[in-house]
Order: sequence, then structure tokens, then C-alpha cells
Amino acid sequence: MTAPAKTTTLATDYFSVFELPRKLWVDMTALEQKFLQLSWKLHPDNFVNATEEEQELSLKRSSELNDAYRTLKEPVARVEYLLAIEGERKEGEKKQQAPPELLEEVFELNESLDELREAKSAGSDVAGLRESLHVAEKHFGEKLAEVDAQMQATAKDWDAALDNGADDAARKKIMARLNEHLNRRSYIRNLVMNVAKELEEA
Amino acid sequence: MGRIVGIDLGTTNSLVAYIDAQTGKPKCIPGPYGSTLCPSVVSLDPDGNIVVGEPARKRLLTQPERTIYSVKRLMGRGLADISEELELFPFRVDTTSKNVIRVQLGEKSFTAPEISSFILRELKNWAEAYFGEPVDRAVITVPAYFNDAQRQATKDAGKLAGLEVLRLVNEPTAASLAYGLHEKRRGLVAVYDLGGGTFDISLLKLISTSEGDIYQVLSANGDTHLGGDDIDNLLQAFIHEEILQGNEIDFSPHGEIAQELRKELIALKHKLSERESATLKFPLPNGKTFEFEFTRGMLDALIRPVVDRTMTPVKRALADAQLKPEQMDEVVLVGGTTRTPLIRRRVQDFFGRSPHTELNPDEVVALGAAVQANILDRGVSNMLLLDVTPLSLGIETYGGAVGKIIPRNSPIPASAQDMYTTGVDNQTGIEIHVLQGERELAKDCRSLARFTLRVPPAPAGLPRIEVKFLIDANGILQVAAKDVRTGELQQIEVRPSYGLNDAEIERMLEESIEYAEQDFAERQVIEARTEAESILAATAKALAGEQVNSIPAEERGRIDATVAALRESMEGQDYKLVRKRIDELNQATMHLAELVMNTAISTALKGKSVGEV
Repeated sequence: MTAPAKTTTLATDYFSVFELPRKLWVDMTALEQKFLQLSWKLHPDNFVNATEEEQELSLKRSSELNDAYRTLKEPVARVEYLLAIEGERKEGEKKQQAPPELLEEVFELNESLDELREAKSAGSDVAGLRESLHVAEKHFGEKLAEVDAQMQATAKDWDAALDNGADDAARKKIMARLNEHLNRRSYIRNLVMNVAKELEEA
Repeated sequence: MGRIVGIDLGTTNSLVAYIDAQTGKPKCIPGPYGSTLCPSVVSLDPDGNIVVGEPARKRLLTQPERTIYSVKRLMGRGLADISEELELFPFRVDTTSKNVIRVQLGEKSFTAPEISSFILRELKNWAEAYFGEPVDRAVITVPAYFNDAQRQATKDAGKLAGLEVLRLVNEPTAASLAYGLHEKRRGLVAVYDLGGGTFDISLLKLISTSEGDIYQVLSANGDTHLGGDDIDNLLQAFIHEEILQGNEIDFSPHGEIAQELRKELIALKHKLSERESATLKFPLPNGKTFEFEFTRGMLDALIRPVVDRTMTPVKRALADAQLKPEQMDEVVLVGGTTRTPLIRRRVQDFFGRSPHTELNPDEVVALGAAVQANILDRGVSNMLLLDVTPLSLGIETYGGAVGKIIPRNSPIPASAQDMYTTGVDNQTGIEIHVLQGERELAKDCRSLARFTLRVPPAPAGLPRIEVKFLIDANGILQVAAKDVRTGELQQIEVRPSYGLNDAEIERMLEESIEYAEQDFAERQVIEARTEAESILAATAKALAGEQVNSIPAEERGRIDATVAALRESMEGQDYKLVRKRIDELNQATMHLAELVMNTAISTALKGKSVGEV
């Protein structure tokens, strides 16, 4: 077991748990191998007969390892985390607002959802509404894929900026874009989930 | 330090296992009745003694109001969420129960952890009798889908039984350990575990590394109220109807006849796993005999809804792990209920491969618990188990919504931090409500705990309290809070909303020691009496034979006197005296026994069997 962390106030940054730079492209096989290797060292099972202090430390370190793994493993969670530790994650009111170019479609979708709910409570036929909602679900699913592709492209820009030693201003600009992608993504994802839920219940 | 064991605390049966030092393999320990299965049934006899296992199961028929089964269904649950159980099971809930449910056994009432602790203590006794050494530590298995309160209740039961619970291990994960050791398989494994009262599905990845084998759980799902019990209930309701159609009898659903019928139906269900049809013959109180020919097809139709219900968690677990059924390399069946042919067929069809059933589905979880106990005992090992939390952890936010802080299927130990502040000036407390579950509203999730953060008076929004939530390797929540400005730490004891507090556990611990002594004394008396019965029977047989004519009258007189003395001692409760009189009778009959033995041997040599003597 390695020496205890010097400070207990500052949570270890997840990238450094895996000795990784703060880049957004992560080699998944290497990440998993490192995770398993560190688990062998840190897991509480190995400290059942150890001192209470060592047990505490194992619990702390292995939970950090697990938190880091589950965060870095998921591309979206990874971006969110990066922005959070860089102090650039801003959810704000933007999250609740529809992206301007989608306004019209979102409006239509909400109308269809309302109609579906009304039809359901009135016990009338919902087949037609279901059909149009399925179309909408597919449409917004495509939008989601679009955002993901944009996010991936911007993530590449971020990694390149790190490699090229870009200045603070340039980095902040990229992070602002990532932040926008995240908010947009979260909005569309909620829509898709709502539609799926209504369809499942119908 | 005493020995360490692995325990499967099941809804229907419980088992205890250990690692055989010679073979290095796990083994289940048999009890006094020869079986490794201890029925999870507890009875309080009229003298106030606790009876556990097989003898308690018999009392389900004779003293149903003093006997309880399937108590696992009540672990970690409140009165509000057991209404379904109360309809289907003969639980006599103490109406004065507060947050923790108490169940009435005769004139006394007990909590579910206490009743479970009686079962654990019985298994501890089995192991101690087997080893001839004390047992003080255990790994106990729980359904993977058990929530924090249910896990805490199980840990409390272990403590009450005088065991240090080194780890709670998820049942399917334990089963995979036993299988991995047995089969040496690698790759993606699905464990389908349908027991007496719970259903679990776990997906694992078995990985070989240079340091050893890793069992990594990818996702788990399940239903903690779905199992063989439900099949029995369906069968019982069905036959009830059939009986009532042809007979006018008062059929109290929880009385003696119902228990007798249930027993017969369970036997019928087991028969139908082996053959295509079986006949139920049941004597009715009105003197008639109810006869019913049951086919496997009828059983299948009846239990299809139960089997269907298991498939939803299976699909969810696959979706969470982003896997398709055909990607699984192995499928393992665990739990006695998976002997049902319909279940085997459904699982095989779904995954497209025939499931493993090489290990006894009743024993495999206990065997795996023993493997994990051995790993923990040795401290270092070439096996490592990485499990997940089955349910998301969340905090109630404004408007009764839930903010997820640790998503389901996160590897454990897992943690999350959250920052809190005040909404009004000089507010001195912040209420925190911790929940577990996947629903969006707090009222639809399981309430785990409520506590109040202490805050020094300050203008609104100024205090900064950092709260750290940590799910440990047992899947149990720990909470710590820190005032960021002052650095002051707050110790927060998280007790589940339906759990026992430390004072209650302490009091029960004292009571349990009392019961343990009673248990021990009662067991000794019973065992001594049983032994006495068998030696008295053997003596009577010898005295009836012709060899008795070859012994002196004085010797005969001594035998008669010691027999009488033994009989007299059997009336009392002093087991030591009974044992002493048994020894005396053994001494007195030694010569006679020799004569009988010699005759038997010479007869055998003449070509006759001993039985003909």
C-alpha cells in the first residue's frame, strides 16, 4: 500500500489516479487494465486483517479509484468532469432552454405529447399519435447522434490544443464549446427519454 | 481467533460452508439431521426455547402460531411496504411495532434480524460441532438487489448471532466464485439466481491476470420479492379454489390445513421437475380425500407469469452492461427454483446456450461464500471480487425530486461529494434525505435515511457543508460531513429508516446470549435423550434374545437397575446426568453385548445374515 495522500481536503483528480493527462481521448483497454491493476492493490478485501487506519485508507483510495473509473469510462461523463475540474462547467438556465434552431420541432413534439396524454386519459385511440411520436423519437435520436459527433470533434480540438501548448484563452474557448454541447445534449436526451417513456406507457 | 465460515442465509434454506484445508475446495457442513440444508424456519416452543431448522419446520404444522418461515422477506422493511407479504404469508405482525417490524411467535415478538440471528446461530453451532472449534467470523451472502436497509439488517443479524461479519457478498457473485473455481472458465458470465423469495441476475467478466483471477461484476438487477414462494402461493391459491368447488369446508388460509396443503404442494412441484405428471391426494377435514392429477403443462401455465417477471430484470442488466444475450459465454443457474424445467427452457432460449447446472443449485452460493471467507481470512489471495451497487443513490432535492449522486452498477466502494448551504439567515440545520432507487420522485424511491447537518448560525448561503457519501464493499452507506469554512467534521450515523439503532442491537445482543444458553442446554437435553432412546432400544432387543440366558442373575439385575435409573434421568432436564446414566448402562451391558456380537458373527459365518438372528 502506498503512502497516504498528503492532503485530505483536495480530492484527487481522476485523471491523475490513472496517471493520465487531462485529455479527452482515452485508450479504453489501457484504462481497464490500469483499473484492474490498481484494484489488486487498493481493494478493501486485501486489508481485512490490517490496522483500522490502513482499512480506512484502502476504503478511501479504492472508492476514489472506482469513482475515477466510472467517470472516465463514459465519454460524456469524462467531458463533464474535465470542465468541472477546470472550473468551466456551467449548466445555468441554458439547460432548460430549447436550442433556438430546434424550437419549432420541440414545440410540435410537446403538442403531440400533450395530445397523447389526453387521448390516453380519455381512453381514445392512440395509434396515429404513437406513429407520429415514433417519427419524432427517431428524429431527435438523430439530433442526439449529431451532438455527439460535434462533441467528439471538439474533444479532438481540446487534445490538440493541449499537445500544442495553446494559451488559456484558446483553451477556455474550446471548453465553452464543450459546455454548450453538453447542455444541448442533456436537453435533447431528456426529450428522447420523455418520448420513450410516454410511448412505453401508452 | 476462531474459524471463519461462509453462510448462505436463504429465504427457504440456509447453509454453512468452509474451505477444506486438504483439498482447498469449498464444502457444505451437514447438520444433525444429515442434510446440509437448514430450513430457514424458527419456532418458539411453549417453554420459551428457540427451535430452528428441521424441528421448527415440523412445528409449522403443529404450532403454526409459534413458527415463522421466509422471514428474509421482512428484512429491512417497514410496516408500510409489507402489505403484499401480509396477504400471502402467515406473518403475525406485532401491532405495536414501531419503525422496525416485530413478528409474534406465541406470546413473544421478535424483529426480523433477531429471527435471522437464530438461524445464523444454529449454523454457527453446526460448524462448531463439526470443527470442534469455535467459529467467530463469517461471510454472509445477500441478494445482489438487496438495498442498504436489507443489507444493514443482515449485518445486524450476524452481530446478534455472535459473528463478526467480515463481508456481505452478493449471492450471484458468490455463486460465480464457486463456479469459476470449479470450471476454470473465463469470459462473460450471466448468473440467473431464482431462490425461495428473491430473484437476481448478475453479469460478470472473469479475467485472468498475472496476479490472479478477477471476478468483475458489470451489472446486477433483480427483484427482492420474487421466488419459489410465489410459485407455491399460486399453486396453493389454485388448489384452494379446486377444493372449495367440490367441498364446503372452512379453509383458513394460514391455519394448520393450509400449511399441510402447502407442504404437499411443494412436494408435488418438486416431483413435476422430474416427471410429466403427479397426483395430489389430500385428506380433507370433512373426511373426504381430495384427488387432483397435475401435469407439468398445467404447472407451466400457472407459473409462466413468475418466469416472465424474471425476464425484465435480465433485459435491464444486459442493457446497463451494453451487452446482448448472445454475447454471454456462460450462463449459470443458481437457486432451487431453477430446477423447474420451464425456467431452464426459458433461460436457454433467451441466451441461446444451455445453462450450467453442474454444481448443486442449493449449495453453490454457500460454497462461494466460503471461498470469499477464505480470501478475506488469508488477507492476500490470487482471487479478487469487484462488485457493484445494484441501485442508484440519490438525495431529495426541491419539490420532492431525486438528484442521483451514485448511479446504479457503479463499482463499490463508491463515493460522491455534495455541497450544501443554508436558505435563510441563522439557519442551524440542513435536512438531508438519502434515497435508493431508480425513480425520479423521492416518494417512489426507498427512503434510506434522514439526518440533519448542524450549521453554525450565519447569513443565508454563507455556510459550506461538504457531505461525503460512501458505499462500502458490503454495499452499505456511510456518510461524513465537513464544514468547509471551519474544517469541523460531523460524524453522522446513518441508520436506515426501518433499521435497528445501536441501543436496540445492544439490548437484543444481551437477550440473544440468554437464548443461546437456553438453545445450547435444550439441544444437549434433546441429544442426550435421543441417544438414551437408542441404547434403551438396543438393550431391550438384547434382553429379548437367547443370549440373556447365559448371563448371571446378578448381572441381569444390574442391567435392570441401570435401565430404570436412565429412564428416570430422562424425565428431567439434566443432560449431564442422562449422559452419565448412558455410560453406566453401556458398562452394565458390555458383557451381554459381547455375547450378542459373538452369536451374530458365528451365525454370519454359517451363511445366515445378521438380520435373521
